Amino acid sequence: MKKRYLYLLLLPGVLFLTIFMIIPILMTIGTTFFHEGGGFSIQGYLDFFQDRYFIEILLTTLRVSLFTTIICILLGFPAAYYISKLKQRKKAIMLLLTIFPLLTSPVVRSFSWMVIIGKNGVVNKLLMGMGLIEKPLDILYTPTAIIIGLVHLFLPLIIVTLVGVMENIETDLLKAAESLGASRLAVFSKVIIPLSVPGLVIGSILVFVGSFTAYTTPALLGGKQRVISTFLYQNAITLNEWQVASIVATIMIAVTVLIISIMNGLAKKLNPKG
Amino acid sequence: MQEKNRGLALFTFLVFLFLLGPLLIISVTSFEGGNILKFPPEEFSFRWYENIFNVDMFLVAFKTSILVSLGGNLLALLLGVPAAYALSRFDFKGKSVINAFFVSPILIPGIVLGFAFLRYIVGTYQLPIYAALFVGHTVIMLPFIIRVISSSLSNFDFSIEEAAESLGASKLGTFFTVVLPNIKSGILAAVMIAFLESFNNVDISVYMTGPGVSTFPIQMLTYVENYFDPTISAISVLLMFITAFFMFIVERLMGLSYFTKR
Amino acid sequence: MALFTLQDISVAYNKQNILKDFNLEIEKGKLVSLLGPSGCGKTTTLRLIAGFLQANEGKFLFKEKDYTKVPVNKRNFGFVFQNYALFPHLSIFDNIAFGLRLRKNAKSEIEKKVMNVLEIVNLKGFEKRYPQELSGGQKQRVAIARALVIEPDILLFDEPLSNLDANLRVNMRVEIRRIQQELGITTVYVSHDQEECFSISDQVAIMNKGIIEQLSDPATIYKYPETKFVADFIGFKNFIDFDKRTDHDGKIELNKSGYSFVLHKDPQMSNSTGKIGAIRPDDLLIREKDNTGAVQENSLPGRVKVSTYLGRSYQYVVETPIGDFTVNKEMAESYRTGQEIILEIPKNQMVLVD
Repeated sequence: MKKRYLYLLLLPGVLFLTIFMIIPILMTIGTTFFHEGGGFSIQGYLDFFQDRYFIEILLTTLRVSLFTTIICILLGFPAAYYISKLKQRKKAIMLLLTIFPLLTSPVVRSFSWMVIIGKNGVVNKLLMGMGLIEKPLDILYTPTAIIIGLVHLFLPLIIVTLVGVMENIETDLLKAAESLGASRLAVFSKVIIPLSVPGLVIGSILVFVGSFTAYTTPALLGGKQRVISTFLYQNAITLNEWQVASIVATIMIAVTVLIISIMNGLAKKLNPKG
Repeated sequence: MQEKNRGLALFTFLVFLFLLGPLLIISVTSFEGGNILKFPPEEFSFRWYENIFNVDMFLVAFKTSILVSLGGNLLALLLGVPAAYALSRFDFKGKSVINAFFVSPILIPGIVLGFAFLRYIVGTYQLPIYAALFVGHTVIMLPFIIRVISSSLSNFDFSIEEAAESLGASKLGTFFTVVLPNIKSGILAAVMIAFLESFNNVDISVYMTGPGVSTFPIQMLTYVENYFDPTISAISVLLMFITAFFMFIVERLMGLSYFTKR
Repeated sequence: MALFTLQDISVAYNKQNILKDFNLEIEKGKLVSLLGPSGCGKTTTLRLIAGFLQANEGKFLFKEKDYTKVPVNKRNFGFVFQNYALFPHLSIFDNIAFGLRLRKNAKSEIEKKVMNVLEIVNLKGFEKRYPQELSGGQKQRVAIARALVIEPDILLFDEPLSNLDANLRVNMRVEIRRIQQELGITTVYVSHDQEECFSISDQVAIMNKGIIEQLSDPATIYKYPETKFVADFIGFKNFIDFDKRTDHDGKIELNKSGYSFVLHKDPQMSNSTGKIGAIRPDDLLIREKDNTGAVQENSLPGRVKVSTYLGRSYQYVVETPIGDFTVNKEMAESYRTGQEIILEIPKNQMVLVD
């Protein structure tokens, strides 16, 4: 009797997701393993990984994601540590300020960087005004611009994740470490950093995967510089190359799943609590 | 030590300048009086705010976005509330699998999801663009609805359900008279979070444009590609107001803890 | 005539039997409590009566009608929960009126009934408050009022006092008994607290592993436990598994490893056939070993193994040739650990159980 209710409650959601998400995704993946005649083939992938243009895009995307992740950690970790040590009220305000950009439209956020790093943007005007450069710098529409936009997009995410983890490091533990003669720096490197590792790993997954698959930011700030997501969109919409688009989509899913499972395994291993 | 703390404070300040500065800058540029977007603005005016309402495509897209986000939200609630309830109320085999299943739309890259929707929901299933938009947004809202409502059900005392039944209420009656009133703030928070997620979505909507159909963020993208004037700045300010308002409500309903949990 | 009957009930959960061939009859107007350690099936029995769970086998008869398949909301039984289970979004008035509104009572009627029941539970003037504003004891009164106001055919209590502190527990159980007797309402009360059950019940059912070991009035159970489990549960800490039992007129002779004991035959326990002797620590006697060395009737030589100070008395563990005994003794005379003593079993203090 209880079982019947259970199925009745879960069924609509499960059916909906199956029909409108699982099947389309599986079909997308499935079609990439058949050639036009109908037989099984991985020729599509072989062609793909021999295509220098695509390899270039893939590597650029991975590089951009890696830089974004590293910069996010370098900027986010100290800031998160500072926030986690604040008093309740101040901490709440800082967290709200962190989350605000996170919930703001990515179009708005990328657009704001166009205003700042564009040819006639704030940065160039400032630098030229100070006489540091003569010609405006070409930042916009380069991989650097994409990295700046992505760091701006994902920095809040890593700060929020890290603050959550650091809050759980007990103050007593830090006092204990100090009482045992550890210097502040030693406490930071021997206690805080190791205990933050799980948060750091989760945060890094979110940022890396997010950067790898982000569309809006590279579309606005990347100009002609393609990354994998804009390449997918271009093939699907502009070029109508659905087979190519499906292969790119499958590669994106594979990379995402791979990274998440590697990082998950790593997080389990590194978790000091076991 | 004091020294180091001050260094850390300055560092954090710069990080936040980086995070919030750009938003502040476009807010300022929205009051530009001239035709070209620049910072700092030279004259002050509200003309670009007026311009939003003069551009037809913005009004149409805004209406589409509101309809899709609200309609999708409603459908996601109808599907998600029973599921969240079942997942919180009962223990059963395969519960963690079902849980993961409902969260899976978050794990698949949005730009991939959008493509699959275009190819199969619009293509194979032959749904009209508008309907596909609606279905696609429901898919991406569902995980948020289920997560937020599950978390508000996680400290729900289910014995009050039995109390209501022992007093004569039917199962369905119990849900509406006893369960729903006690999780309504969780539901409201879920609706707002899901709404923001859907309203700001680009990755799915970018595939689903057709004659006269396009969501607001997509319209903004198109506009930015063609014009570089402060209209977008003005829109940004309005959107930020909406975000701030929603955040305020969610913070009131669920507490800050909602945002810090991931 | 029984008001309701559980007939050959079996309940299994995850292939494990919680109740097996369970039978229980309860008469109208009585307060019967189900007492036992956790996992004995008492709460399952109560939830079965309430209709929260279904038996795999057996029947539930109410006023001789088959109620086995009647859903909870059609039974009209009041249930009082351990954690009160008040509706947090409703005022005290609305909490209590909940059942009446479902029964489509008129507004004036509801008002009258709620006020009346608030008076019964001594909570007049609380109707506008919300559950969060009340203390534990007050919440429990509301819970009782909410169950009472629908004029239930049976009132069911699931460990209602376990979340209250000790003093309040005593007050509340007096209160529950008073209300139950005033209204003459048939009540089933589940608890693991022996004192609580004995103090308020007409009858106590002692449960163990899904069966009722003994169902009697509290005084009978206290004095004449029928099984070893019941005896142990209510404080007979010492057991002797006799080799031989011989019944005579007015007395019973018992033997264990060469020692013999005599018991007066109590007419109350005339039908007991058990060979296990049970005796409370308070009822055993200790005296110093005398020099004669002669073994007197019902006595055993022993040695103090452990001595514990309990405040008002000492508790000794005494080692004897037929096993260890626990003895409580006023502190006036104390014995050292290791001291040789004589242990005596009074003729009328031991009961024989199965």
